Amino acid sequence: MRRDLLNRHAPFAASLLAGILLWEVVGRQSSPAFMVPFSVTLVRLWQLIASGQLGAQFLNSAILFLTGVTLAIVVGMPAGMLLARVRGLRVAVEPYIMVLYATPMVALIPFILSMMGFGFVPKVLVVFLFAVFPVLYNTIEGARSIKPELIEVARSYRSGEWALWREVMVPYTLPFTMTGVRQAIGRGLVGMVAAEFFLSSTGLGQLIMTASQDFDTAGVFAIILIIGLIGVGLMRVGLLIENHFARWRN
Amino acid sequence: MTQASLSPPAPARLGLPALSGAAMQRILAGAIILLLWEGVVRLAAPAYVAKPSGIIAAFPNVITSAPFLSATGITLLAVAQGLAIALVLGTIIGLAMGRSVVVDRLLRHYVNGFYAVPMIVVLPLVTLWFGYTSAARFATIVFAAMFSIIVNVADGAKSVPKEYLEVAQSFRSGRIRMLIEIVLPAATPYFLAGLRLAAGRALIGAVVAEFFTAIGGLGYYILYNSRTFHHNEAFVGVLLLAAFGVGFELLVNWGIRRFLPWYRRDERTE
Repeated sequence: MRRDLLNRHAPFAASLLAGILLWEVVGRQSSPAFMVPFSVTLVRLWQLIASGQLGAQFLNSAILFLTGVTLAIVVGMPAGMLLARVRGLRVAVEPYIMVLYATPMVALIPFILSMMGFGFVPKVLVVFLFAVFPVLYNTIEGARSIKPELIEVARSYRSGEWALWREVMVPYTLPFTMTGVRQAIGRGLVGMVAAEFFLSSTGLGQLIMTASQDFDTAGVFAIILIIGLIGVGLMRVGLLIENHFARWRN
Repeated sequence: MTQASLSPPAPARLGLPALSGAAMQRILAGAIILLLWEGVVRLAAPAYVAKPSGIIAAFPNVITSAPFLSATGITLLAVAQGLAIALVLGTIIGLAMGRSVVVDRLLRHYVNGFYAVPMIVVLPLVTLWFGYTSAARFATIVFAAMFSIIVNVADGAKSVPKEYLEVAQSFRSGRIRMLIEIVLPAATPYFLAGLRLAAGRALIGAVVAEFFTAIGGLGYYILYNSRTFHHNEAFVGVLLLAAFGVGFELLVNWGIRRFLPWYRRDERTE
């Protein structure tokens, strides 16, 4: 058992070590304005944590992210199911949803800035816009693929519209929606950083901007490291959620 | 009796028999959306906010104006160049990861990690390195596009059926030749899936870099015009970006149907 564990994790540990070593060596060779070694980054990271800055700004970012992504799920999922249920409506608006799905949402940030200014609401809107279309799109795709027999059987047992949704539509579509949620988590993170860069500067985005403007290269690396870890962690969470719900798809 | 004779004749629709019901519904929905947008903006928003009538009025002027055309050209060229570099690097690294266990184990976690990082966070670092120049935009585009290609090419190279390679080996084919003549064609559909993702990400990377560094291009055109309250003009830029996004998607889909007809998209969804 131990040996198996070792075999599985040794390559990962080795590549991690090699990467850190490379970072350290390259960092020591180059000028500190360009790149700093891993050890210096860690020290700076510790300073940011100890001063409470990182914690406060992390909380700030987390609230923004969670609000936007939650709204995207709460709106995207029912809207997607409704569109799938009402065929005429779906046929009519589907191409527009596709186009919006393919549109780079970052391009809308300047408009949001000049119309809504620098509050919390415009930033939530940005995260929402980044995150809602994957949820909507995947929910429609899922609800579309419900076998007509399922609905016919429910109907022949005289199930009403409400019962049909509760017993057939929602359980069947949920796994598909969760694929959308996984994508929405990734996109929402991009939206969060974009909102913090280009709208009012707050959260981790602000921290990285000030570090960059102060030529605090170690600070920039430290926060990129943190956001990177958050990104990887959230991707894992997304996959876990998706797989959890995928179990009842089969 | 044939099936066709059983169905009732299609009802004539307002003298537009050429359009199917679905197309009519779509056009109708589009018209309603535009009308709603126009109405809401006219009633509730300041005069500078973009509305369909304003965008249509601005469209011919913007699309023929020299600053707009040069901005579009600059951004597209930067995206094409960055995408080309990302394709070459991504394919080489992806093939190496797909065909060599050692390389895969060394790089996999880093590639997945960088792929999961929101690419926009590298902007402050990139501007520290390259200054507020077009090189910063270029680096952002390459970074944004490369990892989706690596991930997909590596998946594709791993998926080559073992039998193909065994047959090639028993005919004493060299490693390089096998890579070019067997692995590469087998990985093409995956490569295209990666390319489709990469193109979208590259376009976003370019726009974001222009927002951040204020160097000339389509992204900066949008930023500048919306800051000076020319929203209608700025929105033409957004329409163009959306058109590029959709156009590239269609192009890749067409390419798959035309050149890889044996490959169907739904086969990959497992």
